[in-house]
Amino acid sequence: MSRKLSRSLLYWVLLSPLVVVILFPFGVMFVTAIRPREEIFAYPPTWGFSEFRWSNFAEMWTKTNFGGALMNSLYVSVLSTAIALLLAIPAAYAMSRYRFAGKGLYRNFLLMTQMMSPIVLVLGLFRLMMALGLVNNLNSLVVTYAAFNLAFTIWMLQSYFNSIPRDLEEAAWIDGASHLTSLVRIFLPLAVPAIAVAAIFTFINSWNEFVLALTLMRSSEDFTLPVQIYAQVAGRYQVEWHHVMAGTVLATVPVAIVFSWLQRYLIRGMALGAVK
Amino acid sequence: MSSVTIRAIKKKYGSTAVLHGIDLDIRDQEFVVLVGPSGCGKSTLLRMIAGLETVSSGEIFIGDRVVNDVPAKARDIAMVFQNYALYPHMSVYENMSFSLRLRKQVKEVIDRKVREAASILNLTSFLDRSPRQLSGGQRQRVAMGRALVRDAQVFLFDEPLSNLDAKLRVVMRTEIKALHQRLKTTSVYVTHDQIEAMTMADRIVVMNAGRIEQIGTPLQLYDTPANLFVADFIGSPSMNILPGTIGTQDGATWVEIADGLRLPVPATYAALAGQKVVFGIRPEHTLLADAATGIPLEVEVVEPTGANIQVYAKVGGAHLCAIFTDRHEFRPGDTIHLAFPEAKIHLFDASSGARI
Repeated sequence: MSRKLSRSLLYWVLLSPLVVVILFPFGVMFVTAIRPREEIFAYPPTWGFSEFRWSNFAEMWTKTNFGGALMNSLYVSVLSTAIALLLAIPAAYAMSRYRFAGKGLYRNFLLMTQMMSPIVLVLGLFRLMMALGLVNNLNSLVVTYAAFNLAFTIWMLQSYFNSIPRDLEEAAWIDGASHLTSLVRIFLPLAVPAIAVAAIFTFINSWNEFVLALTLMRSSEDFTLPVQIYAQVAGRYQVEWHHVMAGTVLATVPVAIVFSWLQRYLIRGMALGAVK
Repeated sequence: MSSVTIRAIKKKYGSTAVLHGIDLDIRDQEFVVLVGPSGCGKSTLLRMIAGLETVSSGEIFIGDRVVNDVPAKARDIAMVFQNYALYPHMSVYENMSFSLRLRKQVKEVIDRKVREAASILNLTSFLDRSPRQLSGGQRQRVAMGRALVRDAQVFLFDEPLSNLDAKLRVVMRTEIKALHQRLKTTSVYVTHDQIEAMTMADRIVVMNAGRIEQIGTPLQLYDTPANLFVADFIGSPSMNILPGTIGTQDGATWVEIADGLRLPVPATYAALAGQKVVFGIRPEHTLLADAATGIPLEVEVVEPTGANIQVYAKVGGAHLCAIFTDRHEFRPGDTIHLAFPEAKIHLFDASSGARI
């Protein structure tokens, strides 16, 4: 056995506990989701199952109003991502390219907002949304998610924008482009990796957010996926675990696929942004 | 094509003054090189002509038009950047045609101009490549091509060759000069390399610490530098500089340097006897002399370059460089005797540095 092979084997052995810890919940989730109901509480617990009960998914879909919650989650995540980017790109551009009074202060302010846990703010946000008449309105989540993700998005975009040479825009101006044209045709195309990373982060954060959604959405037709799945467990006499797990599989797997597909951008974007 | 006129231009960043009042007339079709050590303000001046830096005071004319408040895109200039600044997400063709497409030119006109420029620059076979697939020299050519297609009033070059290796730099230098002889577009070229300045320029502007030290043709600067700074900056290896005092007796005039060594100078300087001066002689103007009449020097280092021999030697506590085209066999520790032809001697005032 070559040295290299034995070394990588050793690394995999060292890594395997971590892999198990990460994959274990997914395993339980998946196995429970496709089991017939009777086998869920089999004792002693096993990984095996008698059949692939795909009908669990169909039943769950109708019984838990999964479709409605999915649409809510998509609405909130897509819209908050769009708003966060729309506000963060100009802000990051200004931070990267212009000098203005209070720039350092603003950067520190953005950093400080990141230090506060959303849970601390829940009460205040709830009262704010009450005053605005936005409780039970998905748009309240759109706004808060966008706001919570703005600071990180601006920081990350700014560090990437700094790595795009100013000369490129200057060359475009000399070539006869206005500031707007050079922004749209030269700058933004080069910033796509960073924008993609920022979008993924914001989308996943919004998709997974639970506490605010639980607080601000009072009626079940406005629930997002995390709250809807939670509602299948909390305060019930009987929990349909196979439906809960089928729901979590459907809520996690698509995002995981999108994430792994986009992660090459993620790595490239983060590395490029970090170099300078 | 048009002239560029600069009147009393100043530039300040906050309270720091970078340019202290620059006056410069660049004639139509002229190739002017701004040269100076880094931080002398030459790039700032170029960027002000381009419209990339604001003007603190003074006026810039392109042709007859004051352009102080005209944005870069409306100045009708083209610029080649130090790091090329090619648009990485566009092909060579798209890079070169970008300015024409912005001007909404007809497709056929764009195509003709780009192909014309590409053939001048030997880029025809690279038009579909992206910039990262090109070598440094090819990228440099694309950057020039982008300027070329424009038929701009003025070409600006910001140290365009400093990222290339030494050999390619010499080739591109010649190419740029040939291109200017062919197109005759007014050009302003910034460099810190005095050889580039000497070889390419119609006129050189030597800058130092935000001021112009001297403006002149390459040979004017070489033969009659206006002050010590220019004398030292132009020429490689640079001029030998020996501080001393003018003395005269019995019709002979000399500069007495450290250790009491007397270097003869023309009798016209006799009137300045007693004045502290700096004696300058270029390494290539020193001559071997016999022991009776020559100044004795102790050889320290001998550097053969093939074309000539550069000898570094000690004289009167100072160090001096002499260049010989003949193949002398000098060794460190040898004593040689040198003479300095009167016509090639430069004298500068010791306190002001101005030429006497």
